[in-house]
Amino acid sequence: MVVTKRPTMQTLSTRQLVIDIPHRPDGYPLDLTIEPGQIWGVLGPNGAGKTTLLHTLAGLRAPRAGSLCLDNQPTGTLKRRAFSQQVGLVFQDHQDGFPATVLETALIGRHPWLSPWQMESADDVAMAERALEALDVLHLKDRLVSTLSGGERQRVAIATLMTQAPHTWLLDEPTNHLDLHHQVAVMKLLTERAKAGNAIFMCLHDLNLAARWCDNILLMYPDGEACWGRAERMLVPSALERLYNQDLTTVEVDGAPFFVPKRG
Amino acid sequence: MTRPIGVPLVILALASLLAIGLSVAIGSVALTLTDLGAVLFGDAPALHRTLVLELRLPRTLAAFATGGLLAVAGALMQVLLRNPLADPYVLGLSGGAAVGALLAMLAGLGGLLVSGSAFAGALLSTLMVFGLAHGTGSWTPSRLLLTGVVVAAGWGAVITLMLSISPARELPGMLYWLMGDVSYARTPWPGLVLLTLICLVVIPLGRSLNVLARGPLQAAALGISVRPMEWLIYLLASLLTATAVTMAGSIGFVGLVVPHMLRLVLGNDQRLILPACAFAGGTLLVLADTLARVVIAPEQLPVGVITALLGVPTFLYLLYRSR
Amino acid sequence: MMNPVSSISESRQARARHLVMVSLCVLAWWAAPAMAEVCATDARDRELCLGQPAKRIAALSPGATELAWAAGAGEKVVAVVDYSDYPPAARQVPKVGSHTRLDMERLLELEPDLVIAWVTGNPEEQVEMLEELGLPVFSIEPRNFEAVSTTIEQLATLADTETEGFAEAQRFRRGIDELRTEYAEAEPVPVFYQVWDQPLMTVNDEHLIGEMIQLCGGDNVFGDLDRLVPRISPEAVISADPEAILAGGMGEENRHWLTRWKDFPDMTATARDNLFFIPPSLVQRPTPRMLEGTRLFCEKLEVARGRR
Repeated sequence: MVVTKRPTMQTLSTRQLVIDIPHRPDGYPLDLTIEPGQIWGVLGPNGAGKTTLLHTLAGLRAPRAGSLCLDNQPTGTLKRRAFSQQVGLVFQDHQDGFPATVLETALIGRHPWLSPWQMESADDVAMAERALEALDVLHLKDRLVSTLSGGERQRVAIATLMTQAPHTWLLDEPTNHLDLHHQVAVMKLLTERAKAGNAIFMCLHDLNLAARWCDNILLMYPDGEACWGRAERMLVPSALERLYNQDLTTVEVDGAPFFVPKRG
Repeated sequence: MTRPIGVPLVILALASLLAIGLSVAIGSVALTLTDLGAVLFGDAPALHRTLVLELRLPRTLAAFATGGLLAVAGALMQVLLRNPLADPYVLGLSGGAAVGALLAMLAGLGGLLVSGSAFAGALLSTLMVFGLAHGTGSWTPSRLLLTGVVVAAGWGAVITLMLSISPARELPGMLYWLMGDVSYARTPWPGLVLLTLICLVVIPLGRSLNVLARGPLQAAALGISVRPMEWLIYLLASLLTATAVTMAGSIGFVGLVVPHMLRLVLGNDQRLILPACAFAGGTLLVLADTLARVVIAPEQLPVGVITALLGVPTFLYLLYRSR
Repeated sequence: MMNPVSSISESRQARARHLVMVSLCVLAWWAAPAMAEVCATDARDRELCLGQPAKRIAALSPGATELAWAAGAGEKVVAVVDYSDYPPAARQVPKVGSHTRLDMERLLELEPDLVIAWVTGNPEEQVEMLEELGLPVFSIEPRNFEAVSTTIEQLATLADTETEGFAEAQRFRRGIDELRTEYAEAEPVPVFYQVWDQPLMTVNDEHLIGEMIQLCGGDNVFGDLDRLVPRISPEAVISADPEAILAGGMGEENRHWLTRWKDFPDMTATARDNLFFIPPSLVQRPTPRMLEGTRLFCEKLEVARGRR
C-alpha cells in the first residue's frame, strides 16, 4: 500500500567519479551503474576507500571529480529529501544519540517520505514492524537500542533501511557482528529485495560471502586503482591475491569458488 | 514516537495553569479565595486588584516565560550536541548573554539594544564552546562540558569585573545578572510571545530534530540538510536564552533538569518534548519563584538560588550516571 | 499564632487609617481651598508634589528612616527595610524586605502615600514599578553635609513637619559650621580611614566621610583615588604612612580591625598609638548622627596632634 506513494525508481550511476580521500592521489575514475536487480559487492583491503565510496554514493561526501546521477540526471539539483527516497545507507558504526527504542529507531526511516506536518501513520508503523520482523528483531521493539548486542543493533539498522525503502540500498559491512545464521538470513533478504527490483551495493570483508551472493563485484586497490564487472569474471585468484596481497587457494563448493588463504 | 502526544501536553498545560493560579493566590500578603474571586469578577478593593493584577500576575507570567524559554533552549542544545548534559547556563550561553546585556547597559543603551546585545553574547558564547570543544575531533561529553564550564567561569569573571568598575548607582540593578531574579522583570510579553512562536515552529521541525538526534551522518542519509539545521537550532537556542536572560538574569539548571525529567517519563520524541519543556519549565520556575517570594517573607530570595539548589544535585547525579 | 505586638500595632494602624480617611473627608468637604499642595525636588532632579502632606511614609533604606525621624516625621513612617535600627522606635515598624530586594506586596499593603527611595541603593526596576503603580516616590542621595540638611528640610516639607524638621536641619548645619570654624586653622594630619577590613577598603575625598576628615583638618592619604570606596592593599597603607588610623568595625565595640596595624611598629600611627576606633553607625550613614561622628573625628585628630 505504501508502494503506491513511491515515485518511479531511479537508477544510481556514477560518471568518471573520483572519490576524495585526503592525502591520496586521484584514483581510477569510476563509471558504475547500479541496475535494479543487481547485487554488488565491493572488495578491498583496509583503507582502500570502500566506506568513502559508499558515503560519496549516498551523497554525504563530495567527490573529488565526476558526478553522481539518478536516471542520468546529476543529483546536484535534487533536494536531499528526494534523494534519500531513492538512495539509503546502512553505516558501519552505529552512533548512540539519545536513547530510543527499537521501533522508534526503525520508524526514523520514514522521515524522507513524510511532510513536516505529518505524523507517522499506522501504515508507517506497520511498515517498520514488517521490517523488524524480517530482520528477526520484532520481539525487541520496545527495548532501548543502547541495551542491544552488536548483532541485534546491526539488524535494527538494516531494518531501518528497509523501512526507509529506497530504491538503491547501500550497505557498509552489513554482516558485521552477525552470527552465521543471521549472516545468511541477511544475504537472503538482500537477494529477495534485488529480485523485487531493488539495487543492492555493499562493502564486504568476507570474500566468500561476496562469491556466494553477489552478481557484480567492484575491486578497490589501496593505490586507487579499481576494476569492476560480473562476479565470475572478477573473482579470479590472481586478481584477489593482488588485491589483498595474500596467496590464496581456490576450491569449489556447490559449483561456486571458495577462497582460502594459503599457509605461510 | 509511537506514543500519543496529546495527553501529556494536556496534563502539563493543566499543571501550568494550576501553578500560575497558585502563584497568583500566594504572596506575602494573605488573600482569601473570596478576595481573589472579587478581584477576578470586579468589586475588589483597589489594593487587592493592584496586588494580584499588577504585581503577582505579571511576575508570575514573566517567571513562566523565562522557565519555558530556558527549558526549550536546553532541550534544543541537547539535541544539537547529542548530549543530555547540555544547558544554556552550564555551557556559558547565559553568561555570554548577561555580559552582552551588561555592556549595552553600561554604554547607556536601552530596550531592544540590550536584548540584541544579549543575543550577540549568547551567540558568541555558543560559537566559542562549539569551536573549542570540537577542535579537530568530535564532541566528547567531557570535553564539551569542560569547555562550557571554563567559558561560563570566564563570563562570570567578566561580569564581576564590570560590576566592580561600574558606578555605584548601577550596582543593585546589575547584581541580579549573576544570580537570576524575576523580581526585576518589567513585562512578560516578549518572552510569552516568543515561547508561543517557538512551540509552533518545533511542530514541523520536530521529526527532523528526532533524526538529527541520531547523529549528523544518519540524519544526512535520511534527507536532512544537517548544517543549515544545526545553525537554525543554534540560533533558536541562543535567541531563547538571550530573551530569558534579559528578562530575569542568568537562572541556572532549568534547561538541564526539566528536559531530563521529561525525557525519562515521555521518551525522546522532540515533537512532544519541546512543547512539554515549555509547559514544565514554566511551571517549575513559577513554583520556584513563589517559594522565593514567600519562604522567608518579607525577605525576598532570588529565584536562581532555588533552581540552583534543585539543579546542582540533579546535574551531579546525571554526570555520575553517565560515565 | 498571634503576635501581641503586631496585633496592637495593626489595630493602631487600622485606627490611624480610619482617622486619615475621616480627616481626609473632613478636609475635602470643609477645608478644600485651604489644603496646601507640598512640593520638593529630589536627588534625581524631579519635582514631587503631594496634594496633601504625607501621612504614611515608606523609608526604603536605613538612612532614609533616620532622616524621616530627623525631619520630625518618625510617627508617620509605616514601612522600613532591614537594618533600620535607629532610632530604636524604627525597629517596631513593619519591614518590607531589604533595600536591594523589596517585598512589593507588603509595601503596597501598607498603602504609603510617600516612598523615600535611595538612588544608588534600591533597584531602579522596582522603584520605577512603584511609580507606575502611582506611588509618589522621593529619591534621596545626600552626598555632603549640606545635602543632609536639605534632605531633612525637604522631607519635613513633604510631611508637613517643618517646625521640627527645619530646626533639626538647622541644628546639624550650625553644629557642622562650628566644627568647620574651630578646625579651619588646624595643622593637617595625614589620616587613613578604614571602611572595611577584608578586603581593605577606604574612601576618597568625594565621600561624605572624606569630607568629615577634611573638615577636622585631616588629610586623607587616599583622597585622590578615583573610586568613591577604593579597595587598597595593606602595603599601600604602610607606604602612605598615615599619622592616624581611624576605623569602624563589625559592630559598635569591635576594635579588632585596628590590631592588625600593631604588627607594624615603624608606622607613625602605630608608633604614636594613634589607632582610633569610631563607632561606624555615627559616620557611615548620611544622617544627623554624623555631627556626633564628626565631632569624634575632630577630637581624635586633636589627640593625634597632641602626640607630636
